[in-house]
Amino acid sequence: MIVSYKDTLKIASITIISFCAVFVCTLFLNFNLDLADVGNEITSPATQSLYDAQVMTGKVVSSLAGGCLLLTTVVLLCFYVGHFIDIHQKELGILKALGYSRFRIAREFWTFGCSVLTGTASAYLCAHLLMPTFYEVQNELGLLPAFEVHFHPGLCFLLVFLPALFFALLAVCYSYLKMKVSPLTLLRGKESTKIVKARKESDMPFLQELGKSNVRQRKSLVFFITFAIFCFSSMMQMSFSMDELASEMMAFMIMGIGIVLACVTLFLASTSVVKANGKTITMMKVFGYQSRDCVKAVLGGYRPWACFGFVLGSLYQYLLLRIAVSIIFADIENVPEYHFDIPAMLIALFSFIALYETVMFCYTKKIEKMSVKEIMLE
Amino acid sequence: MIQLENVHKFYGTGESRNEVLKGISLQVGDGDFVVLLGASGSGKSTLLNVMSGLERADEGTICYGKTQLEQMTDKELTEFRKNNIGFIFQQYYLLPNLNVDKNVKMGAELAGNKEYRQTISAVGLEKKVHKYPHELSGGEQQRVSVARALAKKPKFLYLDEPTGALDEKTGRLVLDYISKLQQESGFTVIMVTHNQNVAEMANTVIRMNSGRIVETWQNAEPKNAYEIAW
Repeated sequence: MIVSYKDTLKIASITIISFCAVFVCTLFLNFNLDLADVGNEITSPATQSLYDAQVMTGKVVSSLAGGCLLLTTVVLLCFYVGHFIDIHQKELGILKALGYSRFRIAREFWTFGCSVLTGTASAYLCAHLLMPTFYEVQNELGLLPAFEVHFHPGLCFLLVFLPALFFALLAVCYSYLKMKVSPLTLLRGKESTKIVKARKESDMPFLQELGKSNVRQRKSLVFFITFAIFCFSSMMQMSFSMDELASEMMAFMIMGIGIVLACVTLFLASTSVVKANGKTITMMKVFGYQSRDCVKAVLGGYRPWACFGFVLGSLYQYLLLRIAVSIIFADIENVPEYHFDIPAMLIALFSFIALYETVMFCYTKKIEKMSVKEIMLE
Repeated sequence: MIQLENVHKFYGTGESRNEVLKGISLQVGDGDFVVLLGASGSGKSTLLNVMSGLERADEGTICYGKTQLEQMTDKELTEFRKNNIGFIFQQYYLLPNLNVDKNVKMGAELAGNKEYRQTISAVGLEKKVHKYPHELSGGEQQRVSVARALAKKPKFLYLDEPTGALDEKTGRLVLDYISKLQQESGFTVIMVTHNQNVAEMANTVIRMNSGRIVETWQNAEPKNAYEIAW
């Protein structure tokens, strides 16, 4: 087997993200389906407003969380498959040279779908366990007619099995495209990253130059780091406003997803940067650069992008809630007015700084422990 | 002066524990040109790594004057390498996404050497400063590696099979640069090689076998890179 189950365990971030997406979608979509059953029992306009608000909230949250996390998973999976091929170039080259067809090898990548299945199945189960409490919170005032939790097989297929199938297929197709090179190219194990030259010659210090060069070299990681902090900033600030606009439970869920998503993506991106720069770090250490200098050179260039992600996240959550309050929920009564929450932004900012600096500290420690000899022997 | 006293190095644990260096003792004088000679697996590269502070010895002492390496923390050892040691490897290990100028600057900045472009000229690459490693031949890449090591003005230069991946012509060229620059600057050279002919360039030759020094001799008249056989 080319891709082992052990390899799929390494992509825990995809499992976590699919868990978050399916967990939220299951809760809200199952709730909406069960609520629709009692829709015709509603007689009063006030209850109808609440009913409409609940349905709308479910749709907005499911499509936003589900859509956003689905896109992230697609990007992450492609990134992982590409990374897997890069680090196993020689083995894959041997297989191709021995006569295995490209499709025969790519077919084995279906196992990456198992990571998604693990996430979606466990999320579906957890969501069902939490559902009675969730239903109670959503109908806290008892204004809606009583309704119970039902199992919807269609929803189960849509949220558990369909994503797993989709991602298994995506992994196979993407690996098939990525391996469209000669066996010799794979056997030579050439650097997969093309060298992006500096636009103009500069006299900036070496560490700064190396930092900039790393960012130029790996633009996909700029996306991941910006996205991680964007999620952190927007979801954390949104959760504070949600407390007022929706419920405490929803606020808690959004904050949890934001933190998990940000941490997973940030660690994944930083690990990729550090791994891809293993030899650079080794040479820097050999020459006498301290670990903090290595972190500065390798990860420092991404800091401005992380800050940019924070600003973007703040703006996004503000605009999203503004639109939700003034347009989507315009016809619904008693929706509180929404203003930009400066204390929430400050809390999110300090948390972001703490998170980012903790990650940098962890990588400084990791680099300190990196064996110079091990990397040189690779 | 570098002084090694009864240095042992082990790899692995339990039954697979392997003693790679078996009580090495030697002295290297300042400004000396030493060649460590031996077959593959004799322990010469491990000795170079241990002497230069890239790896720690499991037993024994390594002293640079009064400075004892085994008593240093990792941070102090890094600082020691920064201030004293230059490296040249068989595989060059240039930073692929930086051009020649920036690769050499990597070493130069550690020593605060602003005149590092002179070192690039000294290895004959002044016209290729803006080229990236993949645009250079093997010999040119090794010359960048030489310039990078020398730009940090080391007191001790360690070379691990520097000509192992080069053809005769470029191999001689690189060795010639190193020996000329050593004569000019007076740093100590410790070079690992399995090529006995290269050993004729050294003042002192140490032959190793199975983790032990089996022979040491001095060359009365060291040859230059173009006088030795290849």
